[in-house]
Amino acid sequence: MDPFSAEGELLNIHNAFHSGQYQTVIDFDTAALSPENQLPARVLKLRAQIALGQTKEVLAAVSSEEDTPDLAATKALAQQTAGNTDAALELAQELAENYPENATVQVLAGTVLQAHGNSEEALALLSKHQGNLEAVALIVQIHLQQNRTDLALKEVQAAKRWAQDSLLVNLAESWVGMRVGGEKYQSAFYVYEELASGPSTSAALSIVGQAVAELHLGRLPEAEAALTAALEQYPDNTELIANSIVLNVLAGKLTGDLEARLQQVQPSHALLAEIQEKSEFFDAAAAKYSPKVSS
Amino acid sequence: MQSSPNMLTKFESKSSRAKGIAFHPKRPWILVSLHSSTIQLWDYRMGTLIDRFEEHDGPVRGIDFHPTQPLFVSGGDDYKIKVWNYQTRRCLFTLNGHLDYVRTVFFHPELPWILSASDDQTIRIWNWQNRSLICTMTGHNHYVMCAQFHPTEDLIASASLDQSVRIWDISGLRKKHSAPTSVSFEDQMARANPNQADMFGNTDAIVKFVLEGHDRGVNWVSFHPTLPLIVSAGDDRLIKLWRMSDTKAWEVDTCRGHFQNASACLFHPHQDLILSVGEDKTIRVWDLNKRTSVQSFKRDQDRFWVIAAHPEMNLFAAGHDTGVMVFKLERERPASAVYQNQLFYITKEKHVKSYDFGKNVESPPMLSLRKLGSPWVPPRTLSYNPAERAILVTSPTDSGTYELIHLPRDATGAVEPTDVKRGQATSAVFVARNRFAVFNPSSQQVDIKDLSNSTTKTIKPPAGTTDIYFGGTGCLLFITPTTVTLFDIQQKKQLAELAVSGVKYVVWSNDGLYCALLSKHNVTIVTKTLEQVSTLHETIRIKSATWDDSGVLIYSTLNHVKYSLLNGDNGIIRTLDQTVYLVRVKGRNVYCLDRNAQPQILAIDPTEYRFKLALVKRNYDEMLQIIKTSSLVGQSIISYLQKKGYPEIALQFVQDPQTRFDLALECGNLEVAIEMARELDRPNYWNRLGAEALAHGNHQTVEMTYQKQRNFEKLSFLYLATGDQEKLARMAKIAEHRGDFTSRFQNAIYRGDVEDRIQMFKEVDQYPLAYLTAKSHGLTEEAESILEACGLTEDQIVLPTLEEPLKVPHPIVPTFKSNWPAKAAGHSSFEKALLGEVGAGDEEAAADGFEVEEDETEAVLAKDTLEEEEEDASGWDMGDDINVEEDVEFVNVESTEAGAGSSEADLWARNSPLAADHVAAGSFDTAMQLLNRQVGAVQFAPLKDRFLEIYKGSKTYLPASTGLPPLVNYVRRTTEETDSRKVLPIIPRDLETVASVDLQDGYAAMRSNKLEDGVKIFKRILHTLLVNTVSSESEVEQAKKIIATAREYILAMTIELERRSISTDTPEGLKRSLELSAYFTIPKLEVAHRQLALMAAMKLAFANKNYNSALGFANRMLANGGSAKLLDQAKKIKAQCERNPQDAIDIEFDQFAEFDICAASFTPIFSGSPCVTDPFTGAKYHEQYKGSVCRISEVTEIGAPASGLRLFVPAQY
Repeated sequence: MDPFSAEGELLNIHNAFHSGQYQTVIDFDTAALSPENQLPARVLKLRAQIALGQTKEVLAAVSSEEDTPDLAATKALAQQTAGNTDAALELAQELAENYPENATVQVLAGTVLQAHGNSEEALALLSKHQGNLEAVALIVQIHLQQNRTDLALKEVQAAKRWAQDSLLVNLAESWVGMRVGGEKYQSAFYVYEELASGPSTSAALSIVGQAVAELHLGRLPEAEAALTAALEQYPDNTELIANSIVLNVLAGKLTGDLEARLQQVQPSHALLAEIQEKSEFFDAAAAKYSPKVSS
Repeated sequence: MQSSPNMLTKFESKSSRAKGIAFHPKRPWILVSLHSSTIQLWDYRMGTLIDRFEEHDGPVRGIDFHPTQPLFVSGGDDYKIKVWNYQTRRCLFTLNGHLDYVRTVFFHPELPWILSASDDQTIRIWNWQNRSLICTMTGHNHYVMCAQFHPTEDLIASASLDQSVRIWDISGLRKKHSAPTSVSFEDQMARANPNQADMFGNTDAIVKFVLEGHDRGVNWVSFHPTLPLIVSAGDDRLIKLWRMSDTKAWEVDTCRGHFQNASACLFHPHQDLILSVGEDKTIRVWDLNKRTSVQSFKRDQDRFWVIAAHPEMNLFAAGHDTGVMVFKLERERPASAVYQNQLFYITKEKHVKSYDFGKNVESPPMLSLRKLGSPWVPPRTLSYNPAERAILVTSPTDSGTYELIHLPRDATGAVEPTDVKRGQATSAVFVARNRFAVFNPSSQQVDIKDLSNSTTKTIKPPAGTTDIYFGGTGCLLFITPTTVTLFDIQQKKQLAELAVSGVKYVVWSNDGLYCALLSKHNVTIVTKTLEQVSTLHETIRIKSATWDDSGVLIYSTLNHVKYSLLNGDNGIIRTLDQTVYLVRVKGRNVYCLDRNAQPQILAIDPTEYRFKLALVKRNYDEMLQIIKTSSLVGQSIISYLQKKGYPEIALQFVQDPQTRFDLALECGNLEVAIEMARELDRPNYWNRLGAEALAHGNHQTVEMTYQKQRNFEKLSFLYLATGDQEKLARMAKIAEHRGDFTSRFQNAIYRGDVEDRIQMFKEVDQYPLAYLTAKSHGLTEEAESILEACGLTEDQIVLPTLEEPLKVPHPIVPTFKSNWPAKAAGHSSFEKALLGEVGAGDEEAAADGFEVEEDETEAVLAKDTLEEEEEDASGWDMGDDINVEEDVEFVNVESTEAGAGSSEADLWARNSPLAADHVAAGSFDTAMQLLNRQVGAVQFAPLKDRFLEIYKGSKTYLPASTGLPPLVNYVRRTTEETDSRKVLPIIPRDLETVASVDLQDGYAAMRSNKLEDGVKIFKRILHTLLVNTVSSESEVEQAKKIIATAREYILAMTIELERRSISTDTPEGLKRSLELSAYFTIPKLEVAHRQLALMAAMKLAFANKNYNSALGFANRMLANGGSAKLLDQAKKIKAQCERNPQDAIDIEFDQFAEFDICAASFTPIFSGSPCVTDPFTGAKYHEQYKGSVCRISEVTEIGAPASGLRLFVPAQY
């Protein structure tokens, strides 16, 4: 039986991970799990630690067990997140070569490859999956990052046929929906709203999703309510801050404070980088023009 | 006792055999006449016995309420008919005449008649006003068991043990007893001899039809309320249906089923049903059209004798061997669900409809659920799923069924649903977007199903579960008779349990944080985690509830709408005439469904609960607002405030001095207390005030209260304590005056005044004491004089050993001068708010540089003043439009790398020729190209913030897989659009914001004379509009108007700023200053603002003796009109200037000439002289400024060729 299925014993930890409740994952009691599920549970816990930025601890934890491809893949991801990107890429490529059938390797090495922009390699690796929903989700995301909404949509629809009810499929469908727009915004909103309001699934991740969907639906006051409340709860969540900036701009409010906050938390955030880039671009483009008579 | 699922017993009484029943037409009362000779009056809603009437001898069989008067009639085995007044609780009179048992008595619906049927084989009609018998109908040849009036026609139906039913025509009787126009001989004859056949052998009542068909005696007969139908019940155990026309009557059909004598029967007042009761202990319901049994209800022991229907409501009563039962046939609660602004509900016709709260409109029927359940059973619940636009409906038929149906997109009519999923369950609710839960009590199992109706999960609810409800996202509430359990579906885990008994309904608050559990008589408010917040008890049944947006629960009982705060404080909002089911509260409206499933709006006054809520939340501003705007008074709110420990707030409401005094003391507000005490002026109040003031250390008040009470001792002591020697001396004087020696002594001691003491002792002949006092204080002379006066010498007296006399210490600090310092009085923030209200007016008189009172007329847009502007500019724009080719509108954007698709941002740039869209796409260079061509923009630096603002707002960041950067999504203004060739970005600060926020800021800056800020604001408006989009041609016009307005204000403000920077010490400076102040009046500002400019110019001109100019300005001001004060000033100046209309200083300003102001040099451009225009703002310049940057916009090049700003592309919408 698929351990992640509705009746499987890993369902809860798996869902907690994908709804962004990393601490819940780390605190999850795995002692009662059956032996074959111990490793996947451990990998999930390590990944949750990586998501919370505890890469050193993870690297230390897996250092002696690199023979297990699952843990090696975890190491690659930890290296990637810690900034040791070249080593991560090398390890990921090696793993992709040797263990292309391992589900954990597919997902984690695929993530590392994609993070390096090696989308084709990542897709090639991921396409070998057999009923691995995480791989599906990753494929969808890679397609979306490549602006191939059509391919992403196909992937989701294929997955829906065999895993209609899975949280990940719902999420991936929402990601696609947010690109497609129109009525799909509303569907995506329902998915995130359901997650955000459920006591066992609410996390910054789902609230961001809900707020972003509201924002795309043009419902700024609702988006603002969600983001403001969430920011109080998770003051350092970068995506919350970034999307709050967007929201405030659209609502015609000042964003200086939030930008400074984002600068503090994650100076490398795409929003800041792009603004910086565009600011320079503006100056360069504006320099081409001048009045005939200077006054 | 086997109970049919749909028969709902509302009330049961225990008594001896009930033979007659009557419903009160308006009140919740029934009269029950008993075999034991008693008549009972019950309130069946409260379940209380209101009264008993016991004057009959033996069984009372007939009973009836009068439809309008406070009367009822009864008839018994004592052959008597009695008419009673239930208000005075007395029998008014007795009608005698029948010679045997009276079986039934009824009032006529409008005439003052009573109809009685008796075992003496007669039917009689009585006039209860003159208490006379007016007609006796003979013909039956056995006991007459029942006789009833037709509800509208002049007919009577009677049933007799002679096996016949007779229909009587009494139109003759009515004619005879209606007011006669002329009294004929026959009439006189007839009146003189009632009950006699007239000369043609007719009586007043003639038998119209005799209906034969029953094989045994007939016990009951009833008319149909509207149709020409009759139903009868007989000892042959049959219920027979008869139809009649004008000329004949015939048997239609027979309802077979009773297996003992059928005692009574009637037609359902609204539905096509017949109800009958019998000695076989059953109540049976029959379909009128098919004559088939619909349902039956059986009692174990008791034979039924009589049945009655409520004239208006869906209620019936049946009398049996041990009492009566009041019941209804079906639930009247319409199934409904609320989602956002919509109510979905099922009508009596079983149509699904929706109702929009905002617009107050009902939709046409969307679906027909005719096939759901059985025809006589309404659906019980409705659950709505907005994501799928689907409904789940349950019906109690066949021990519970549910149906899942998708609503059609548009309501087109009551169509039969296609694609219905159904199953067995008593409850079914949506629990998630694509899941619903159904509950089967027989198997005690909850199935979670997906939308294709297949079970995905099965849950075992706690034992004894009777119902399930939505429990917040992903959760369910299980209801058992004693507990409520919150269950997480996904984790299959019980989250919480609460012991609440008998919960019937669950109502979630709008924010999903709280939930109200309704039982029959209790409301329990719990949090979403099932922690009890409060609970309250009602003696009357609770019917429904809904939440206010502010978190107040509004609930309805049978006869009230009430509220409950979270803390359990509750109260009545209004009374109800009929039972309703609340669905929503908004503002002053309560939306509800009535028993006919019609949406209704009830007006309520939410003041009281809002006030209490504000009090609980300590939102004093709102309380203040409520106090100021509504008439919230009354004892209840005062005692509420007092009880809750807010006497200071209660104080604000009270007028009555006594209560005010009490409250003031309670909250320590001495000022109010003093005021009230003065008003009341009674010792008791002074006394209490004094005690309180003393506790406050407010001795001045204490002094006053003692004075008022003439409490000299206390007063003296107070003066001593405060060290007020002077007053103490006065007290001594007063004591002396009053001849009160004790008091005088006391005062003397307090003052340390030995002489006075001695003097006093002497006066009261206490010489020894006087001597001793004098001696001990070393007043030897005095001592001796006392001795002398007594005729004694020193040797004759023995003195005790004298010690140093006690000295009264002298006060060091004059504490009496002021009250003892006390902590700042308990002014609550509420009172402060009240006080602050007085000071609030100050703000308005803020810096006003123009020294002019303004009037507050601001239109959202400068209308009249700006409209002409557009046209007169056109004559001068020669050549501007020529060089621009239309085809360069679309700037090509190179598409990005192959393999991957192009991002939505690229699409935006491709989809739109508008600069703002290019900016949002991040394609700044093409945006600049566009702006350059459209409006000659050359200096982009001022637009940088605007560019980055738009860019920043263009995309969101959606975290997806961990370890990868978030997915970037592009925010569209075309939220409905999915065609990638049509999507367009959102542009922040739309036209509406500019018009309603920025423009008003600009006006405010003008008004408050903050011109530098004003210039900045208006320039920002220009920049915002320059890079923007609008959604219609009319908005383009509006944008252009705002651009023109901004231009005029910037021009005017910069002129005035220039003037202020010039020193007027030199003659040139003064001249320039006068000129600029004159030019300041030229730009087309709002009238109110132009008046400011004119005023300033007028004053300056007047002060510098330029009376002619001043006169001109004054005239213009008067022409503009406005506030009286302003015009007065203008009139005064005008009057003075008219005496000497000369200018002392010659300036370049001709008030009669048409001219524009050059925005660079601030000099006039007279019409006809050459000028250049800025392509964006339309500002005018002297020719020499061509090619430089516009001073107004700071972006565009004066006189540059341009195609005109584009903000809108029709095809986009």
